[in-house]
Amino acid sequence: MAANSIKLLTGNSHPTLARKVADRLGIDLTKVLVVQYSNQETSVTIGESVRDEDVFIIQSAAPGEVNDGLMELLIMINACKTASARRITAMIPNFPYARQDKKDKSRAPISAKLIANMLQTAGCNHIQGFFNVPVDNLYAEPSMLQYIRENFDYRNAVIVSPDAGGAKRATAIADRLDLNFALIHKERSRPNEVSKMVLVGDVQSKIAILVDDMADTCGTLVKAAQTLKKHGAQEVVAIVTHGILSGNAIDSINKSELGRVVVTNTVPHGEKKKRCPRLHTIDIAPTLAEACRRTHNGESVSFLFSHAPT
Amino acid sequence: MRRVKIFSGTSHPGLTEAICERLGTTLGKCDLKKFSNGETSVDIGCSIRDQDVFIVQSGSAKANDSIMELLILISACKGGSANKITAVMPYFPYSKQSKKKSHRGAITARMLANLLTVAGVDHVITVDLHASQMQGFFTKPVDNLYAEPLLARWIRHTVPNWRDSVVVSKNPGGTKRVTQLADVLKLNFALITTDRRRKEDADQIPGNEKMITLVGEVRRKTVLIVDDMIDRAGSWISAAEHVKLRGGAKKVICIATHGVFGGNCLKEMEDCSCIDQIVVTNSFPIPEDKRKGVKKLVTIDLSQLLSEAIRRNHHGKFIPHYLVE
Repeated sequence: MAANSIKLLTGNSHPTLARKVADRLGIDLTKVLVVQYSNQETSVTIGESVRDEDVFIIQSAAPGEVNDGLMELLIMINACKTASARRITAMIPNFPYARQDKKDKSRAPISAKLIANMLQTAGCNHIQGFFNVPVDNLYAEPSMLQYIRENFDYRNAVIVSPDAGGAKRATAIADRLDLNFALIHKERSRPNEVSKMVLVGDVQSKIAILVDDMADTCGTLVKAAQTLKKHGAQEVVAIVTHGILSGNAIDSINKSELGRVVVTNTVPHGEKKKRCPRLHTIDIAPTLAEACRRTHNGESVSFLFSHAPT
Repeated sequence: MRRVKIFSGTSHPGLTEAICERLGTTLGKCDLKKFSNGETSVDIGCSIRDQDVFIVQSGSAKANDSIMELLILISACKGGSANKITAVMPYFPYSKQSKKKSHRGAITARMLANLLTVAGVDHVITVDLHASQMQGFFTKPVDNLYAEPLLARWIRHTVPNWRDSVVVSKNPGGTKRVTQLADVLKLNFALITTDRRRKEDADQIPGNEKMITLVGEVRRKTVLIVDDMIDRAGSWISAAEHVKLRGGAKKVICIATHGVFGGNCLKEMEDCSCIDQIVVTNSFPIPEDKRKGVKKLVTIDLSQLLSEAIRRNHHGKFIPHYLVE
């Protein structure tokens, strides 16, 4: 009788990351046939038996095709469910609609909650992802700390949060590295638009490291970098978990004061890297692989909240 | 109508406008956009507290975007304290994936029904579900409306000598649907079966069409080939060729409720000399560029049926049997 083992499946959004995770785990990806019909409906067939297996599905939200990626994931979960998988874990490195997580004005949808409910409805037992509201959540922070230690003269650095909401995240990193901390306060009128910026803290002749959870059009980061340079920062770099980098992000970075933008590979960006030499990557496949292994074996996952696997 | 708001998704604004016009109301203000990262954004611009909300959304060329838009709209209305939320889906996306066709395939239509419930829908109005058993997928009430009376009326009014025509089903699975139409019009009925098992052998011998079998008489008659959906052209063209070239039919009209027309389907059917006319309802939006140069296509307006269903639902009147299954 076959033992209950890990089956790793991937959607079309980020196959390279999935392959890296599979390599770390020393297993093959399970064959999945995902086709889009001529009427643009998605169809999924799982190529091998998943009966009584522990299924992990990796799907990120590729910019531009978020909804297709999401439906693909939901249908894959549903297919595994009807194929009698023992447990289904969705690994979503970049949770779609994460920013729409509160009712910020009248009649606004809480889409993030809707997505979480939808995943559950499709048949998902467990969700893992780099997500910024408390679901079962992994942190890229340990990997980021490691990167900062290895790549910068970090004793001469200041950790900067580009907005008040991210202060907690930035201070956590500053504490771990025993560094000073600064904050940029901004007044945001509409999404993807930035207005006035005020710097709190000292960055004079230091390396300013901007820390944020998500870089989309990069408007905030570019403006923040300008502000920091104006206040005498020697160098400005940005470290961001999710590099969505949509719209003119790449052009903005190339023209900006940012010496380097470091993102994790939760979102595919290989193509963009060619157009932007300032873009650097932190690989989070080891964290995902380790989370996968630990979940499967029933070990504690919280170890990963403070340690980067080597 | 009082205390009613009708919203339109981006898939089929024309149909929603027609419905609003028939109901004598205006479209609820709502702003639908996509963020630059591809996520859908919904902004409802008028109060919906304690109102009956109807959201009209069909499928579209971007099927998944339409679905997400609908789900987020429903969720926004729920969060905005609407009294009752009804999804009006003239075409139910993924309705072909309503059973487990292969090992480890998904029953996506059932999942979509569940997703609608999760988003907060209270009622669903749809037209000619691919399989009527799909009504059992929903935990909320469903009105599966019939387009058949409209199709029958079109046939009576436009097809010359319609009493002398034959209704044909192009596959045995759709026979029930087709016999109903034949009964209503009191017409004869024929059936085409395609033996998939023998197809492999037939492919090796070019020109061999033996795997298609026609049961019934169509000689010198107008043939109405009927199904619920036109998605791919292949089976329609081979059925039309068969009844015309082998069966000796005079004229062939392809009739379906949902004109999905994936890929080049419409063009291929237009170019097929054996098809004389293509009749669909406007349940599914057909983009202008696909419609261009197509002369055989006739669309029947569904707004009357849908607006009547909305009106009766709102006033709590019963929906007569000839409207719903």
